[in-house]
Amino acid sequence: MILVLVVVTALGFDFTNGFHDTANAMATSIATKALRPKVAVALSGILNLVGAFLSVEVALTVSNAVVKIQSSNGAPKPELLADGGSALLLIVLAGLVGGIVWNLLTWLLGLPSSSSHALFGGLIGATIAGLGWAGVNWNGDGSKLDGVVGKVILPALLSPVIAGVVAAAGTWLIYRITVGVAKRFTDNGFRWGQIGSASLVSLAHGTNDAQKTMGVITLALIAAGDWTDTKSIPFWVKAACALAIAAGTYLGGWRIIRTLGKGLVEIAPPQGLAAESASAAVILASSHLGFALSTTHVATGSILGSGVGKPGAQVRWRVAGRMIAAWLITLPAAAVVGAVMWWIGNLLGGGLAGSIAVFVILLAAATYMFLRSRRTPVDHNNVNDEWEDARPAEREPAAVAS
Amino acid sequence: MHNLGFALEGAWKVLAAGLILGAGLPALFALGIRTLAWGDGGSAEATAGAAPHAAGKILGWLLFAIVLLGVVLGITFIVASGLGKALSFEHVFPTIVDK
Repeated sequence: MILVLVVVTALGFDFTNGFHDTANAMATSIATKALRPKVAVALSGILNLVGAFLSVEVALTVSNAVVKIQSSNGAPKPELLADGGSALLLIVLAGLVGGIVWNLLTWLLGLPSSSSHALFGGLIGATIAGLGWAGVNWNGDGSKLDGVVGKVILPALLSPVIAGVVAAAGTWLIYRITVGVAKRFTDNGFRWGQIGSASLVSLAHGTNDAQKTMGVITLALIAAGDWTDTKSIPFWVKAACALAIAAGTYLGGWRIIRTLGKGLVEIAPPQGLAAESASAAVILASSHLGFALSTTHVATGSILGSGVGKPGAQVRWRVAGRMIAAWLITLPAAAVVGAVMWWIGNLLGGGLAGSIAVFVILLAAATYMFLRSRRTPVDHNNVNDEWEDARPAEREPAAVAS
Repeated sequence: MHNLGFALEGAWKVLAAGLILGAGLPALFALGIRTLAWGDGGSAEATAGAAPHAAGKILGWLLFAIVLLGVVLGITFIVASGLGKALSFEHVFPTIVDK
């Protein structure tokens, strides 16, 4: 029964992961009208589905990077398995709830925060609450890039900068090369390039992010004794995760798409192409080199870079500042929610009653935020409306920044 | 701070690969559009009334083909790593090998 709650919550997280990250791939294509909004999210959803099925590699040790609830071969730590694994299940459940609540809150505010940070943050918080500080893998063992610092914090600092530099260079080159060419030529051509590169980002997202949830669900199954193989994932888990992330992507986090596509920079097709190519290249190159990073950070860095690289473009640094603030607090905030959830669950005995209580809190929080979002709805109809700052007078010209 | 060392080591590789693929390919794409416009002549170019050049069209599509090849390589890379294979550039030509 607890297991069912964990699986449902994990799929819920995967779903929020999907709609939170639609923007990473499709915000630019929607903003430049290369694709109609509905078509863009449908394309991205399908590619995420395909991508999720392609991730055959076992993602079982995903939590090992940050918390010590598994041994290195992916099996749960034996001391957590007493009483049907409920200790481990409660940590995972609380962690997932922390991730979902933070994802929903940032969506409500239209901020593109990292879903992986939310998940890791939630797990870290729940682990600290459940096992103490020593339960967290802070710094790895020194043999490779590992731990919270190595797998989460350093990549989060470096990846947006790298993506931004690449996108700025690409944008600058493109504008340099096509100077003087008729607009009908450039706009049409770059639209196609943009769709291609955005599709690549969607595919890469499906393979990267759906895996994490697959790993978490399989871990829970093993803890509950329903699965024993640490080398593979049950097919239904893969199918369910793929569908959840694709459905989430198709629903589209319109609020976030709006911020990324319209809020940060006014994007023209050449910039969109440069930004998405930079994102795709950086994501693929880093996963090839085993350099874990967040799609969100890369995409945001790229879009900012495309604004810096275009001569005379305007970057709204205030919006960028809000985003960066959200990134900084994503991990600790999700951790706090995860920890509180664990305490509540533990207070009620840590068993079924505790898990149900945590689940009910999640439902209540999700419903509340959904209702709040209806007050100022953003959907495929108004996603491209003109961006109005609260105080337009404070906009900085991009010339100062570049 | 061993982690910082590892991270910086990885970072510059990602930056290099990103610049070549993420900025280089779009630049080639832009060059393709530029040559296509040159091939079309007339109002497509900055100097109105320029004569069309057949070579421009061929060259333009050739550049697009190179870009497409890069994208196909990228997709192959995703699919290959998903199936537990890796893309090797050992023999200059990319080949799919076991991990």
